[in-house]
Amino acid sequence: MITLSDISPQSRNRVNPQLLTAAVLIFSAPVWLPAIGLYQYIGLEIAIWIIYAMGFNLLFGYTGLHSFGHGAYLGVGAYAFGLFQHNIAVNLLGGLLAAVAAAAIAGFLVALFLSHRRGLYYALLTIAFGQVFWFSAIKLRWLTGGEDGLLNIPRPPIELPGLSIDLNDNVTLYYLVAVILLAALFLLWRLDHSPFGRVLQAIRQNEMRTRFAGYDVWRFKVSAFTISAMFAGLAGGLFAMAQQSAYPDVMAVHQSGLIVMMVLVGGGLVNFWGPVYGVIIYYIARDFLGGITETWLLWYGLMFVIMVMYRPEGVAGMLHMVKGRFVKPSKLKQLGV
Amino acid sequence: MIQLLPHIFNGLTLGLLFALIALGFTLIVGVMEVINLAHGSLFALGAYFALTLIGVDPIADTAVGRWWLDQAIEIRYLTALVFAPLLAGLVGMILEICLRPTYGKAPLYGLLLTFGAALVIEEAIRVVWGSGEQYLQIPPAINGATIFLGTIFSKYKFFAAAFSALAVIGVWLFLEKTKYGAIIKAGAHDSEMVRALGYDLTKLRLFVFGFGAALAGLAGIIMVPIWGLRPHVGIDVVIPAFLIIALGGVGSFEGAIVASLLVGLAVGITGAYASAWSMMSMYILLILVLGFRARGLFGKASALEN
Repeated sequence: MITLSDISPQSRNRVNPQLLTAAVLIFSAPVWLPAIGLYQYIGLEIAIWIIYAMGFNLLFGYTGLHSFGHGAYLGVGAYAFGLFQHNIAVNLLGGLLAAVAAAAIAGFLVALFLSHRRGLYYALLTIAFGQVFWFSAIKLRWLTGGEDGLLNIPRPPIELPGLSIDLNDNVTLYYLVAVILLAALFLLWRLDHSPFGRVLQAIRQNEMRTRFAGYDVWRFKVSAFTISAMFAGLAGGLFAMAQQSAYPDVMAVHQSGLIVMMVLVGGGLVNFWGPVYGVIIYYIARDFLGGITETWLLWYGLMFVIMVMYRPEGVAGMLHMVKGRFVKPSKLKQLGV
Repeated sequence: MIQLLPHIFNGLTLGLLFALIALGFTLIVGVMEVINLAHGSLFALGAYFALTLIGVDPIADTAVGRWWLDQAIEIRYLTALVFAPLLAGLVGMILEICLRPTYGKAPLYGLLLTFGAALVIEEAIRVVWGSGEQYLQIPPAINGATIFLGTIFSKYKFFAAAFSALAVIGVWLFLEKTKYGAIIKAGAHDSEMVRALGYDLTKLRLFVFGFGAALAGLAGIIMVPIWGLRPHVGIDVVIPAFLIIALGGVGSFEGAIVASLLVGLAVGITGAYASAWSMMSMYILLILVLGFRARGLFGKASALEN
């Protein structure tokens, strides 16, 4: 089976053609989304979830730490955004910063507990912590509004000197999310292919050898977890804006499992762009299959099971293999395959 | 202290029920090093099979259905108690066959596959039995209330706790005192050696998975009169089972039993002081124990740590 390290990042170019393609597709989405029978809100949802999934894959795919409770940090971000708007000030930047900061603190504290662990016990502890957050969100009624969640979260306008852009229209909000998404993609691209990212990949391949090579593995694991929690928190803040509410459902173990499924189906284990495919496939499946049959999750689940059995490298892995069949051997060698 | 007694009793009862749930789970983890996230769904499936066997829903209006419904509830309940777990066991065996391509890969893939299977089974339950809350009929002899230690307890809880204790002892005797138990334990310890001794590992795994799934189904039939029967009951069940295994230590039968009782006690006693937070206590317990003892209370080294 191929892994992340087998596909060369091609990061020698100054202008990254893949990032550029992504940028063009992302910014033109409101134009072509209605043309292919979709609606504007789904673009918003997909963009937010891509931020979440990409940040998650830094931990899951690159570092090989299997968190099954990541929804908690998305939820923490969403609540932080909502609480900031309700109790401190109606401010866009402040709200998003609060979301990221809250998720970073929560993620950091949890990571302190987790990072001595590996494998199954790591996954288990992430589930336990995820449940603690989810449970608290339901029970701390005075803070979070219980099962109903925080309602009527405003969408604060973008405040620039001499200019204020209202975000109550979904398309305008989409453009804000698109800019943040691109920044996140760029940041993660740099991070994953930096020396820091290399160490994370080394930890995935062999934690003990990485430690013997002189790296303080514990610190890298804490950092990876905190960073990915921050991206989840950012996505959570944007999600609270999109939904104009924050509720505990996104923190449930079910939802945390869905993000794992999305990342795996897309091929996050073998390619940087895997989570992007995974999120898009999930939402398209939800809308198209969901329009045909009420039991679409049954079919999505079956597809997932078959994929784990026969194609665990996901869509990105399959694309890679198809590409390998048509590219000249000399080019392949150049790509480092 | 006297006021606390009913809560301690309640907690121990709950602990025994948790032990029944964790039984099949720990067997599969121990022998196959697969975390079966579909355990909860098989639990639900067992209960739904029992529902159909007792009430014969689809054919209730035919001659056979009417004849069956005329039989005493005790007979129908016992039939369900025997055959519903067997059906759940069959589903478990199908799941094991699906799992085969993941053997020899990272444990993550087994985990993911069973997570997908859990989703599929839950959705299939919705299609077949509907999304609403269902009620599993039980014989009147074990229904109703009784007074014990000056507090009212439901008779069914006594029955369920006693049944769980018997099931735990039964499985323990099977593992410790029979030849098959010895083979299963040896398979958990060193599967290569078991193969070298001439036992068919493929069949052993199929059997163990089926047995574990049947135990899950059995736990489902016993538990749902207390917890209620909904399609997503599986997820409410698999998480405690999961925590108990981690707490007791992966692969340790005794550990799972001790951990079940501990979790039951923690939930029961927290219930006395802050009932809204009672289910939270087990997560705190797990975080505390795993914070200090990496492999749980009785855990040994396992391939699942990598």
